[in-house]
Amino acid sequence: MKWLSGTSIRIRRQTLILYGVLILLCAGSMVFVFNNHAFYDTPIAKVIRVEPGKSEEVTDTNGNSDRLFTQRMIAELKNGPYKGEQIHLENTYSLSKAFDQEHRAGDELFVYIAGQAEDSHVLAGDIEDVKRDYYMMGAFWLFLFVLTVVGKKKGLFAVLSLAINMAILVLAVELYVRTGVNLLLIAAGLAVLFTILSLLFLNGFNEKTYAAILSTLLGTAASLSVTLLVIRLTDGNGLHYEELQFLTRPYETVFLAGLFIGSLGAVMDVAITMSASVFELWEKNPRISMDALRTSGMDIGRDIMGTMTSILFFAYISGSIPMLILYFKNASPFGYTLSINLSLELARALSGGIGIVLTIPIGLYISMFFVRKKRAES
Amino acid sequence: MNAIILLAAILFGLMVWVGGKKGVRSFISLFFNFIVFLIALMFIMAPSVNPIAVTLLACTAISSINLFFINRVNSKTIMAFASTIITICLLLFLIDWIANQSMIQGFGEEEIGEISMFSLHIGIDFVQIAVSMIIISTIGAITDVAIAISSPMRELIIHDPDISREDLFRSGMTIGRDILGSDTNTLFFAFIGGYMALILWFRDLNYSVGQMVNAKVFGGEMLTIFCAGIGIALVIPVSAGINAWYLTRRRERKQTG
Repeated sequence: MKWLSGTSIRIRRQTLILYGVLILLCAGSMVFVFNNHAFYDTPIAKVIRVEPGKSEEVTDTNGNSDRLFTQRMIAELKNGPYKGEQIHLENTYSLSKAFDQEHRAGDELFVYIAGQAEDSHVLAGDIEDVKRDYYMMGAFWLFLFVLTVVGKKKGLFAVLSLAINMAILVLAVELYVRTGVNLLLIAAGLAVLFTILSLLFLNGFNEKTYAAILSTLLGTAASLSVTLLVIRLTDGNGLHYEELQFLTRPYETVFLAGLFIGSLGAVMDVAITMSASVFELWEKNPRISMDALRTSGMDIGRDIMGTMTSILFFAYISGSIPMLILYFKNASPFGYTLSINLSLELARALSGGIGIVLTIPIGLYISMFFVRKKRAES
Repeated sequence: MNAIILLAAILFGLMVWVGGKKGVRSFISLFFNFIVFLIALMFIMAPSVNPIAVTLLACTAISSINLFFINRVNSKTIMAFASTIITICLLLFLIDWIANQSMIQGFGEEEIGEISMFSLHIGIDFVQIAVSMIIISTIGAITDVAIAISSPMRELIIHDPDISREDLFRSGMTIGRDILGSDTNTLFFAFIGGYMALILWFRDLNYSVGQMVNAKVFGGEMLTIFCAGIGIALVIPVSAGINAWYLTRRRERKQTG
């Protein structure tokens, strides 16, 4: 790190204030999530002592062996009418921890109070779930600080833009539930809103951004039309909607709405790369011919095509890893498991890839159109 | 006709049309990535194999494909490769710690309907599986940022051969900052698209904010987003540092040798 020692550290006052505010907010919210028990209706208990119980070897019908452990815990209730009293809890967990977990002293748990134990005055109950809010809050602040320290203003903007987009999504869902407007229409509206907000937020008000917004919307519409056409042509053959989790609504609409939004980020990235490079080429050499612009633009598009598609690919298919493992370990056939668990993820990734590739020429020609207009004006 | 195969064929056609030979390579690399993913999955399930070690090997293979096969083996891609692997290792410690603390592994009670027919005691540590899952979800983006910093940094030293190591590092950071926003954006939307169903579910079942924040499925998704963002941010100083160090050292060697 010797070569860094020469770096002069000059902290501007504004930055100092910003970091001060962030640290205060962080400290405040952390104190809150560690002491918010009174806000929960479900009783919460903090584990104070754990006694390991017996353990036994288990083997399932497919020959997988695991070990089951029992632990007895004494916990202190943190809210509700029994606040301050102790409760006895029992927990069983396995080595694989797929649907259970080992508890340690200090863990806070949501519990169900069953009543008093038979031979004593101590309460007894069951564990319902783990209190995770402080981990979520902690991870969020870590995320915010790492992005802000590395990316400074741009990092903080990325976090803000994520928060705003999430808030809009929640509001849109609320709107959908309340009014029952077609979900696809809502998704389309969301896509337009997200694109305009994110691109303006990241790149500011200028022609480059306008060209990118237009290209993103056209690229997304084009890729969605192709995907819809394919689904209609093939009758959805090979798409296993039954794997879609958390379904309370018509499955195809939910899937398509997710598709709409999922590839948006990647398409935006391609669109802004295309428009930024075309504008830069033109600014460096205002007399560049349209043909030269087209050739250079295409070269840039070719370079980003592969990596962009693989970003989407891994973001989508990674989520199905636990389910794939569960299927395989339960002796499900290879092809069946893959098609059940990966068909929708693959469809998403491929459709996103189509969006990425289509946006390259779309972004190029739209940016060239903007450049031509600007040239005619000057 | 199978929809997946038709979509793949269309993607292949478009890639060839837009990208020519490079398009063919991009499509083949996508296919290779899938094969590596499947092979890694098989190894993760083998008894007495550490899933995290397998994930590291898989990441090495995946970033090799994305860097050396689509581009070529040269100092640019080698530096990008080194940055990717170092970042993944750093990220691994962080994710392992977070996953162990927050207990978001495996399946939530919302998924019990789907998995009730299976035996859950399969002898594989799902905490490690969760770590693998989060790492693999970001590998594409981390590799992308690494190469996006390495290429222009090499151009910089060609155009300005006397640039100091500190200035080179600082330029690398500036380049990284410019792409930080758009790369996190790419991943965020990919995840958000999938959460639509989850948010609808929470809404339809009248989850309170408290229930939602503490639910395992929600926690798992949020942690994936946060860790992915942290990974993209971490690769920037790692990549800028390695390239600044390597490029100036190579210059010194040339001058003395």
